[in-house]
This record gives sequence, structure tokens and C-alpha cells, in this order.
Amino acid sequence: MTRTGGERIRAWALAGALIVATIGAAAWGPGARAADPIRVGFGMALTGGLAAAGKAALLAMEIWAQDTNDAGGLLGREVALVYYDDQSNPANVPGIYTKLLSIDQVDLVVSGYGTNLIAPAMPIMMSRDLVFMGLFGLAVNEQFDYDNYFQIMPAGPDPRLDWSRGFFSLAETLAPKPKTLAIVGADAEFSRNAMIGARAHAEAAALEIVYDRTYPPATVDYSPIVRAIQATKPNLVYVASYPPDSVGILRAAKEIGLKARMFGGGMVGLQYASIQTKLGPMLNGIVNYDFWVPEPTLNFPGINEFLAKYQAVAGDAGVDPLGYYLPPYAYSYVQVLGQAVEATQSLDHKILGAYIHGHEFDTVVGKVEFGANGEWARTRVLLVQFQGIEDKSLEQFTRPGSRVVLYPEEWVSGTLDYPYAE
Amino acid sequence: MAAKAFWPVAIALILAAIGLTQLLANEYYFFAAYVVLQFVVLATAWNILGGYTGYVNFGSAAFFAVGAYCSVALIKAFDAPLPVLILAAGAVSGLIGLATGYLTLRLKGVYFAIATLALAIVLETFITNWDFVGGASGTFVLRPKEVWLFDSYIKFLFAVMMVLAVAAVGIARSIERSKLGRGLAAIRDDEVAAECMGVPTLRLKLLATTISGTLMGVAGAPYPYYVTYLDPLSAFNLSYAVNAIAMPMIGGTMTWLGPVVGALLLGTAQQVATVTISSELNLLIVGVMLVGFVILAPEGIVGLVRKTIRRGRRR
Repeated sequence: MTRTGGERIRAWALAGALIVATIGAAAWGPGARAADPIRVGFGMALTGGLAAAGKAALLAMEIWAQDTNDAGGLLGREVALVYYDDQSNPANVPGIYTKLLSIDQVDLVVSGYGTNLIAPAMPIMMSRDLVFMGLFGLAVNEQFDYDNYFQIMPAGPDPRLDWSRGFFSLAETLAPKPKTLAIVGADAEFSRNAMIGARAHAEAAALEIVYDRTYPPATVDYSPIVRAIQATKPNLVYVASYPPDSVGILRAAKEIGLKARMFGGGMVGLQYASIQTKLGPMLNGIVNYDFWVPEPTLNFPGINEFLAKYQAVAGDAGVDPLGYYLPPYAYSYVQVLGQAVEATQSLDHKILGAYIHGHEFDTVVGKVEFGANGEWARTRVLLVQFQGIEDKSLEQFTRPGSRVVLYPEEWVSGTLDYPYAE
Repeated sequence: MAAKAFWPVAIALILAAIGLTQLLANEYYFFAAYVVLQFVVLATAWNILGGYTGYVNFGSAAFFAVGAYCSVALIKAFDAPLPVLILAAGAVSGLIGLATGYLTLRLKGVYFAIATLALAIVLETFITNWDFVGGASGTFVLRPKEVWLFDSYIKFLFAVMMVLAVAAVGIARSIERSKLGRGLAAIRDDEVAAECMGVPTLRLKLLATTISGTLMGVAGAPYPYYVTYLDPLSAFNLSYAVNAIAMPMIGGTMTWLGPVVGALLLGTAQQVATVTISSELNLLIVGVMLVGFVILAPEGIVGLVRKTIRRGRRR
């Protein structure tokens, strides 16, 4: 009799748990929404591998929504963000965007962060002829060739080549002219693409590639890789790495005493304050890509106001405290969309798409103009060099001069300090 | 379910699914249902080796990814149609299952599980370095613009996945009730005793790994068309392996119905959670349900229901 009672209790406990879970899932969903706001829908990586970037991007977008609403909204209506966590998993993306469009009935859509979370949404946008703003996707439209896709990362019309154009343009100016090059990068999407571009530039500049290898993304010890590079005695070392690898390679280079005239190029992560404050003076001399740094030449209207708002709440949100890398662009890609809506006084995607193609936009990251493939009409991948880093304090990275811009010429704010080590 | 009723119900389900694609316009439900059905296939496939035979496979994601990448290779090489992709993915994954079984089935328990995990790493490294299918950069797969009978490709994919799910469950059910199923159960209960009784244990285990691998590969075959961009990190995502194990554990590993119940319950809960609550809680659902069921119902929902019915009858 007792055992029967126990079984019954277990069955009821399970049934209760299931009911609570289901009701909870429904009740904790986004609350009832007013019918009036213009709704901007997207999926964003709020958990998983890309969460750090996704959360920072979301914060920037919330600041844009707040700014827009404070200024009277769009078309006289408030703006509301409707978003779901894609968990950094591409498999969730098609479902999320279909729900946004067919159940939430959002008016505008923008992408989540990164190539592999943008691409799965593309067929849905294409089938409905929607304007789709992309956030940091690399060459996504190469395959889809979709007219209403626009991407905010300033990689330029030919992202693979434009990514490393600055590094190799600058290398050509060195005296004496470098002759040998080592290329190293992770076995992953971004690194592979960046390395393809680096090889093309090397060929054009008649550089002899003395080392060209990839490493598995899970690598933890970079000393053997850096030793192997050192053994080839390259003049230039181009690195296309992800944040953990960038730190590992840099530490290994310092420990081993890597000698090269220019070192860096495509190291993701060195743009983040958390990594900068971890590495401190080790960063001096590194030449790397970036999208925005606090240099006088890049003091665009609105950028400082945006960063002040962002930095005021970044600590509580647990995201990058300075927010120079991704957040201004996350703000800008919705800013472009908002400006297009206001200028055309329309939510018709055909009209919006045509307008975005034909006009230049004033954003917090400067003037933005899109080319035929939806990428920036001209590249603005900056090549910067860490200079004068004295310690590991955060404050020094907010000062002009800690990362001087060396390329493109239009934005130059300092001169190259070379060699990296000899 | 009575033997005679199964296949008519199965066919009715497929017809209902096709009918639904003609009646329901909102595509979201088809995207969500596709994922749930995909997990029905994966969980059922895992259960053939893990539940019936007692060999825990942590490499489900690898077989799934092999199926997906097999499709990518055939699309790129020949622009092959989906039925061909499914058959080829099943064949390749089945062969890999057979080879894996041959190499690893001397191992037992945790050692076998580790070996299957190692298989996933080996295959991921291979794909990462195979440039024809996109390598580490990943690859884009464009869906065909039009498909016969359906007004959108996702509806077609949903119908295809329904057929695959029904077929997978049918195969699992047939195995369970066959001589093969009884042999596998004997291996699960006591492999040495089964061998002594004349059960050809190695042959049966190889059959189980092959069938399980085939079904997992089949589940992955339409995935490139679902997601349209495939890279090794997402194809070999650990969540496939975790779900393939958790779903049969929650539903019950002893019968074909267990993985179905587990996949429908957990898959649906995950889909609902993705668009309602934050995903920290979404991931928590899997963990909490798994722990809860292991403690409260070690034989899964099906086992608990059966026990409750049996006790009810005794009274």
C-alpha cells in the first residue's frame, strides 16, 4: 500500500513539474505589447560562445531604441525591440525569424551577430523581399546575391581582400622592403577567410610565404607554433586568430622572443578591453585591424555621446566596459534602418531597400554608404598599432595615442613604430 | 500499440502532416516541428544502440554531421535531389557506424562512450580540413526555389522529416519485437551470459551500430537545406549528442515509444522556451528534466506509466 502511494506521488510530482514548466514557459514570455510601436525583430546570441558580443550589441540597440523614442520615435510611433536568444546556434535562427515575422509580426528585421547566425535567416528574408541589416557577417551575400541585404561591418566590397589590405599596404612602405611572410590562423571561419586574403596580397606583393599553417581552434599551447614561425625567420607575421588564440600567440611570441618587422594583422580579441587590460605592455608594437579607436581622426558626431551612455551601463550588464569594437556598429545598423524609415516615411521594404542603396547615412561610426552587394562601398578596416602602453590599467586605452591609426590614409593619426622586434 | 494498428496510424500521421502543410499558412510551426521530428529520429536511432543494447554513444552529433556533410558534398558535386541525399547520407553514416562498431565494440561501458566521443573529434577534424565542403569556413547551401506539391521548401522539409521519423520509429519497433531485439536485450542484460547461450553478440552489436548510425545520418541529410549555412562547429554541436541521450532517458529506453515521448516532450519544451523564456533557463530545462526523471522515474515516462497501470490492475 505504501509503495503504491509512493508511485502515485512520483507520478503527480512529475505531472506537476511538467505543467509548471509549460505554464512558466508561457508566462515568462515577452509580455503583452502595445499595438502601436514599430517593432524591430531579431535573434541575438545572449548565451553560448558569442554571448559576450551579442549582449554588448543588444545593449547598444537598446540605447538606440531609447534615443529614438526620446526624439519622438519613427513615423511618430515608438520603437520596440522584439528579440530572442539564438543561443549562438544557427539551427535556432530559421525558427526565430519565422516566428518574428509570422507570429510577432514585426515591421523591420535585423540580424544577430556573426556570419553563421546571419546566413540561416537569409532565405526567409529573400522569400518575403525584406530589407535585412546584417551585423558583422563576412561575405554572406556572396552566395545569396540578395538585393536587400546590407551589412554594417566596414569590411568593404571585397571583404576577404579588404580585411588585410591595410597590413600589406603598410608593409610595402617599410624600408628595406620585406621579402618573407609567415601566415598563421585558426581552423575556423573568420581565420580561413582572412588567410585567403593575406595570401592574395602576398602574391600581388611578390612576398615569399615561408610559413602557412592553421591550428585547431582548441589549441592551448602556442609555443610550438611560434617556434616554428621563428625558425623560418619571416620579415612579416600575419596572424588571423580568435580571442583565446590571440592571447596565447601573443604570450608565446613574447616568451620566445619572436623577431619580425611587423606582427599582427587579423587578431580578434585585441579590440576588447578585458583582453587589453590582461595583456598590458605586451601589446606594444602589435599592428592589428580595428573598426573604431578613440583617435581624433575618428571623432564622428554622436560617437562620444553613445559611448558615454553605453559605458554607464556596461558594468551592470557585464559586457565590454569600453565598447569600441562592436557596440557602435550595433547602434549604427539600426540607426541606418531608422534613418531610412524617417526619410522615406515608409515601412515598405522595397522602398526602404532602394533608399538604402542610393543614399549615404550619418551614423555614430561616420558616413556609411553601401555598395551593390550590401557591403560598405569602400573599406574602412583600420590598421592600428598599440603604442605607449605602460601598464594594465583600463584608463590608458581610452586615451588617444594608445592605438594609432596607420591605414587607411584618410584616418591616419600616427606613424608606424617598427620593427616589432629584431 | 497493437501490431496491426501501428502502420495504419503511421501512414495516417504522414498524410495528416502533408495535409497540414496545405492548410496551415504560418511557417513557424513547420520550422519548430521539423526540429522536434529531427530529434525523434536522433533519439530513436540512439536508443537502438544505447537503450536496446546498453552501449552509450556520445558521438551522435558526428553521425548527424556526417549525414549533413554527405548532403553538402553531393549537392556541390552533382546537385543531387533530396531523396538521393538521404539515401547516400544513410549509407555513409551506416558504414561509419559499422566501422566504428568493429573498432570499438571490444570496449565496454565508459570506455566505449569515450571512444564514440573521440570519433566525433576525428570526424570534425576531417571535415574542418576538407575544403570541398567548406572546411572550417563553412559553406552556404541554397534551397531549391520550387518544390512539387508544396508552396514552401520548409513545408516540404517538414513532410520529409515526418516520413523519416515514422520510418525510424517503425524500424526501432520492428527491431524491438524481433529476434534481433531479443538478442540485443540479452546483450544489455548480461553480455557474457548471452554469448554463452549462443547469441552472436558481435554480429548483433555491429548490426545495432550500423542501423543506429544510418538513422542518425538520415536525420542529418536534410539539415543543410534547413539551415542554409553549415559549418563544423554547428554541425558537430554537442547539443545533438546531449539531446539524443537525454530524450530516450526521459521517455524511457526500454521501448520504441520512450524516445518518441522524450523527443516530443523535450523537443517541444525547448522550442517553446527558445521563443519565450531566456535560454539560460531553456538549457536548464534539459538538465532539470533529466535529473528529475533519473531520480523520480529511472525507467522514463513510459516505464512509470506502465508501472502505474500495472499497479492499478493489481488493485
